[in-house]
Amino acid sequence: MNQDELLKSLNALRKDGRSAEALSMLRDSLRRGMLDAEGIDRAGRFIRREFEAGRIDGKPLKILLLGQCTTTWLVSTLTAIAWGHGVSAIVTEGGYDTILHDLSRLEGSASDRPDVVVLVPWSARLIHGTAALAERIDGELAVWRQAWSLVSERLGSRLIQTGYDWVAAGPLGNHLATRREAGAVRAVRSMNEALLQNLPAEAYFIDLDQISGTIGRNTFYDMRRYHWTKQPFSEAGLVALAEHVWAGVRALTTGPKKVLVLDLDNTLWGGVVGETGPLGVALGESPDGEAYLAFQKYVKGLAKRGVVLAVASKNNPADAREPFETNPEMILKLDDIAAFEASWEPKGTTIARIAQTLNLGIDSLVFFDDNPAEREQVRQALAEVAVVEAPEDPAEYARALERGLWFEAVALTEADAERAEQYTVERKRRELQQAFTSMDDYLKSLEMTAEIRDIDAAEMQRVVQLLAKTNQFNLTTRRHTREDVERLLADERSIGMTVRVRDRFGDYGLIAVVMAVPDATSERGTLRIDTWLMSCRVIGRTVEQFTLASLMNRAIDLGYKRIVGEFIPTKKNALVSNLYQDLGFAPLPDRGDGIVRRELDLSRAEPPEHFINVQAQVNIGAAT
Amino acid sequence: MNERLAKINDVFQRVFDDDELTIDRSTSAKDVEGWDSLMHVTLLINIEKAFGVKFKSSEVASLKNVGELVDLLDAKLGAA
Repeated sequence: MNQDELLKSLNALRKDGRSAEALSMLRDSLRRGMLDAEGIDRAGRFIRREFEAGRIDGKPLKILLLGQCTTTWLVSTLTAIAWGHGVSAIVTEGGYDTILHDLSRLEGSASDRPDVVVLVPWSARLIHGTAALAERIDGELAVWRQAWSLVSERLGSRLIQTGYDWVAAGPLGNHLATRREAGAVRAVRSMNEALLQNLPAEAYFIDLDQISGTIGRNTFYDMRRYHWTKQPFSEAGLVALAEHVWAGVRALTTGPKKVLVLDLDNTLWGGVVGETGPLGVALGESPDGEAYLAFQKYVKGLAKRGVVLAVASKNNPADAREPFETNPEMILKLDDIAAFEASWEPKGTTIARIAQTLNLGIDSLVFFDDNPAEREQVRQALAEVAVVEAPEDPAEYARALERGLWFEAVALTEADAERAEQYTVERKRRELQQAFTSMDDYLKSLEMTAEIRDIDAAEMQRVVQLLAKTNQFNLTTRRHTREDVERLLADERSIGMTVRVRDRFGDYGLIAVVMAVPDATSERGTLRIDTWLMSCRVIGRTVEQFTLASLMNRAIDLGYKRIVGEFIPTKKNALVSNLYQDLGFAPLPDRGDGIVRRELDLSRAEPPEHFINVQAQVNIGAAT
Repeated sequence: MNERLAKINDVFQRVFDDDELTIDRSTSAKDVEGWDSLMHVTLLINIEKAFGVKFKSSEVASLKNVGELVDLLDAKLGAA
């Protein structure tokens, strides 16, 4: 079915009252990239009509476009692209070049607050102004600063700022335009520098110069349209810009995709390893071998910046791993792969298992496979997986993957860089666990060590952060501030400690916090656990047993006779509802205040069994 | 309806997303829901693609109705 027939059949379905069917067909066509720029524009208008008719359920994402140029076509294009990515977005626009006016008219009430505001500059005033360049830049910047503060502070919306761009070098000619202050290129580059230096850290920046340069300015811009309507982008330009805006919206709302799932044969290397052997695959040393090598380098770079890598291959497991282990040309190593699935099962099944293993949503996965049949199977089995339309030539792989904009992020943090490694370490632990028949043997083999520290000024920031965000393994979910913590621990008979754990595969860092205070409401000699939280990453490693054993030792040293544990149920902490019971705490009478209390008699209780060696106790008792 | 007008009618139906839209030489912006100055440009860009022609900026503003559009295409392509 060609695009025209498709859109006609959608109209027919709508007239038949089968709107939901039409919309789902449209989503599938958009996802498969079957529509051209005109089709995408028409799709966007079709979806808008359905919104307006109230035929799309659920709470839509609200995106407001404000431009120094006309943004009308961007509205429908963006609506369609969001729909193709599974999101219902209501896109609205402001007037032509009335950004501050439009923003100041919004009250920021729940009904008129956009989720995301997209600011689109146009370079006419910047380039053609007569004042000195520095003054022109200051003038433009002053407007954006006001806009940013209205968006972030008054509306509380997320912000996407598009950069400036030039359409043509202008009268100075191509190369002087970059060197002279009066040149368009110089003006735009300096302006973008100034924007980046001043932009709020949490905003998403779209580098328009980068987009138009990639496509080519002659294709990206259409000056006839600019003169007719003050809308400078060509049809192709609009689609490209809308795709980048969408990547920004995704980065700011759900975050970018997290996992790249890769096929092996004819994806990471040329040939079929089961036939050629691990050293016979094409990798380096031939035109296609070089292309596979380059793709591996690109993928390795993705892993370094925090994209988690997984493998889904139809192969004998041993064959699939062998090149990673024995072929010296391989850039990607087994250590780079967080989940490795090699079997003869359908890829829809193995990819679902990868998501489960990594404990990430199916919708955070991107799948790259040279085989169209496999791609189709995955599309049909797992609609939420982003499937890359891989080109036939491996030389084009990296660019095809890049074009999807799956991993565009607001910023990169240290945590991003460490993430991929953490998942890989987790895979090794799983594999070790499978090799042991007894859980105890497995835990012993992990060679876990722990370090206990008193909560001090150095730890405070991290502790308060964990108090604020830990939901599951959190007995009381008391969101203490820094001042609260200091007050609780001011008493010299209070105990505030953190636990850090590492094992033979790596360091988990600070993963548990306990704060216990003398209990004024019970008889003398009672220690009350005010707060106990732990990261879910170490569940099942006997860290909780180890933590209690350490707390018991400290309590006995301080002369306590018993420990009272409190549990305050929330929607998210059912995981620990039986923790105190499991650790041997006896029930206490209900006081009717919503807190479940249990106590441990220190004169009789044995410290619970665990598999963790104490590595060091830092500052212990320094406060007493 | 001559062949050229029929082809223009197809473009109108696509652009205004209405399979039942029928135009004649006298149809102008006030007769078609949604035919504003911006949709006028979308329309002309799609006419350009359908007929393989390119309009000049001066021609875009001067069109008063479908009849003038047909005449303009006739002038560019020869009478149908």
